[in-house]
Amino acid sequence: MKYAKVYFDDVNVGDELPPLVKGPIQQIQLTHQDDEFARAAGMGGVFAHGMLSMGFVGQAVTDWSGAGTVRKLNVRFAAIVRLKDVVTCRGRVVGKSSKDDVNLVELEVWAENQRAEKVVTGRATVVLPSRV
Amino acid sequence: MATAINKSLIGKEYPPYPVTVERGKIKEFARAIGDANPLYLDDRVGAASEWGDVIAPPTFAITFRDETADSAAFLRELGTDISRLLHGEQEFEIFRPLQPGQTYLCRAKVVDIYEKTGRSGSMAFVVRETTIADHSNEIVATMRGVTVVRL
Repeated sequence: MKYAKVYFDDVNVGDELPPLVKGPIQQIQLTHQDDEFARAAGMGGVFAHGMLSMGFVGQAVTDWSGAGTVRKLNVRFAAIVRLKDVVTCRGRVVGKSSKDDVNLVELEVWAENQRAEKVVTGRATVVLPSRV
Repeated sequence: MATAINKSLIGKEYPPYPVTVERGKIKEFARAIGDANPLYLDDRVGAASEWGDVIAPPTFAITFRDETADSAAFLRELGTDISRLLHGEQEFEIFRPLQPGQTYLCRAKVVDIYEKTGRSGSMAFVVRETTIADHSNEIVATMRGVTVVRL
């Protein structure tokens, strides 16, 4: 169920986030708009800003853990996203820890295009409430 | 033709700049990334939440700019131009969500510049960090970006 509250106690290492499918990418989402300029720069034409993909990855995390739970999100932009691409964001729990009553869940996150090529890889840390 | 990157910028700190978060900007940003989370978009849901108002999505601070600064000056100082740039990495650390009506003070710094040669040629990596403090000077978030310059 989307936006359901997730408790630290119920999360296990290996749990997977529900995949979030975004796209196809539309012209208006390409913040790099000048195709000729992009070709001249050796980029093979216009492409989406990396922050669009990172925004998608952030949403995949918060759709699962809740808005306001993200303590840390870091990504590497691995490949370019272009017009009409479909981006699927995924994630997996890789660690859990508690310190000073703060419950942290560490996630591996990534996004891939319709050819299963990774366009973003990264990590997220979320703070979750405990049932007790 | 190889471009020389000005490594003397390492350690450079920029003048602090204030950013006041507008309610509408949070909503525009959420819609731009296609995230309809009511905690970003619905004032009533925000008011009833533990935050007391809507909050910004985790990557929202990327919109923060020093409106008084010449945005092209940094690239000139670095010795490059926008056609050579790629966004390599980005990180946000958030201690408290950013909220509308709040004025934050941002402090940006160049923390590192290094070069690498890979399959696609020589590249410089420019690492910049920005801390975001609230009105009581408490750091509520930091962002760290790596800009790749194709040399």
